[in-house]
Amino acid sequence: MLKGVHQKLEPQQTPSFFVRGASPFSRMVFFCALSIILMAMDARLNYLSQLRQAFIGGLHPVERIANLPSEFIRDSAKYFSAHNQLVQENYMLKQQAFQHKVKLQRLNTLKAENEHLRSLLGGDIPIHPRAILGDISHTGRDPFRNVVIVNRGSQHNILAGQAVVDSKGVIGQVTRVYPFSSEVTMITDKNLSIPVQVERNQLRAIAFGQSGNTLDIPYLPTNVDIKIGDKLVTSGIDGIYPSGLAVATVTKIEQDPESPFAKIISTPTAQVSHHLQLLILELPDTIEADLKTQDTDKQEAVGAKTKKSNQKRTKPRASP
Amino acid sequence: MRAPSLLLIYSTLFFALLCQLFPWTGQGIIFRPDFMLVVLLYWLLRAPYMCNVGTAWVVGLLVDLATGSLLGQHALAFALTAYLALSFQRRLVLFSVLQIATYVFGLLFFARVVILILKLFAGNDAPGWHYFWPVITGMLLWQFLRLAFGSLARPKPSRSE
Repeated sequence: MLKGVHQKLEPQQTPSFFVRGASPFSRMVFFCALSIILMAMDARLNYLSQLRQAFIGGLHPVERIANLPSEFIRDSAKYFSAHNQLVQENYMLKQQAFQHKVKLQRLNTLKAENEHLRSLLGGDIPIHPRAILGDISHTGRDPFRNVVIVNRGSQHNILAGQAVVDSKGVIGQVTRVYPFSSEVTMITDKNLSIPVQVERNQLRAIAFGQSGNTLDIPYLPTNVDIKIGDKLVTSGIDGIYPSGLAVATVTKIEQDPESPFAKIISTPTAQVSHHLQLLILELPDTIEADLKTQDTDKQEAVGAKTKKSNQKRTKPRASP
Repeated sequence: MRAPSLLLIYSTLFFALLCQLFPWTGQGIIFRPDFMLVVLLYWLLRAPYMCNVGTAWVVGLLVDLATGSLLGQHALAFALTAYLALSFQRRLVLFSVLQIATYVFGLLFFARVVILILKLFAGNDAPGWHYFWPVITGMLLWQFLRLAFGSLARPKPSRSE
C-alpha cells in the first residue's frame, strides 16, 4: 500500500539554468581543505580545546538522555537482585571491612613511626594525596584509543594530568577535562608512559603502553635482573603518580640474540573492565601548594625541596 | 511514506547522535554501526536537494567532537564519502534494492578506510579486521531506514497509482 507514493525523487544536479550554489565537486574540495586546516590546528596548536570543552559541556544533557535506558536497566536489575544475595554480600563486606580495619591500625602506627624516622634522618615526609571517587560512564567512542570516560570533570576540580587508580593498581592519567566528565587514558595506551620500579630489587625503569593491553619496558640490557612474575610499582619520581602503587606484573621476557635489549612484556594489575568505580588522585603540586598556605613556617624548607624534586621530574608524554 | 522535510532530516540526525552518544561498554562496541554516517547517506541519496557535502562535513565534525578524536578527521571522511555518494546519485533510481545496498556497502567501507588512513597518519596503531564490522551492522541499519522512510528505488510501474 505504501509503495508508489514516494516517487518524488528529484535529481541532484539541476540543469545549468537553475543554478543553485556550487557544484558538489567544488564543495568537496572546499570542505576537504577546511578539515585539513582544522586537523592541523587541532594537532599542532591546541586552539580548539576550548571549543571541544564547550561542545561537550553543552552536550551533557543530551548524553544524560542517551544514558537513561541503560541506567534504568541497571537500576531495575539492582532492584530485583535477590535478598539472599544481598545478605551474603553484606556479610562478606563486613568481614572484609573488619580485616581492613585491623590492617589499618597497624598501618597507622607504622606510618607514624616511618614519618618520625624520616624526620630524624632529615628526609622528605611522603605526602598522601587526597582522592575523588568517580564512576566510569563509558569506554571511549574512538576504537583507536585506550580511554575511559569518567563522570567527574572540571566542576569537581579535576585537572588534566591527575593519576587514576582502582583497588588493584594504576589505571592511567586524566588527559582531557570537560565540565562534567573527563577522559582517562589508560597506561596501556601507546601515548602514555609510566615510571616504574621492580618491587623485588628497586630497579627503576619506564614502562610504555603497547597494543593488546600490555606494557612494554624497552631499553633494558639482556642481563637485567627481572624475572617473570616480578611486580612493578610506581617509583614516584615523576611528580604525578605517588610511589608504591601496583602497576603491572611481568608476564613475558624475550631475548633476541640480535638485539642488545631484552623485550619485557607485562600485564597491568588494575582491572578496568571488572568494575565501574575508580579513584582520581590529587596532583602533588596542588597538595604542596596547600601545605604552603597552611604553614608559613616551613615555607622555605618545602620550597627548597620542591625545587629539588622539580629537577628530578620527568615530563609525562601524555598530551593534555 | 512522507516526503522528506528538513525537520525530519534533522530530527533523525539528532536521534543518530543520541545513538552515537549511547554509552557502549564491553565487546558490543566492536559492532556499533556509524549511526550518523548511515542516516546522513540515506538522506543524501534520498533528498539531495536538501542536504549536501556541507551537511556531511558538519555531521562529521559533530562525530569528531563526540568521539574526542582529532577535529576534522571524520569531517574529511564524511565529506569525501558524501561527494562519492552524490556523484552517482542520479543513477540510483534505476537500481534494484540489492544494487543500492551494494553501493551503500561500498560507501560505508570507503568512509572507514579514509578514517583508518587518517588515523594511521596521526600515529595510531592499526586495529585488527574487527575494525570493519560496523560496515556490516551499518548495512543492517540501512535496511531498517529503508523500511522506515521508504526505498530509494523507483517503484514498479504496475504498482503505481
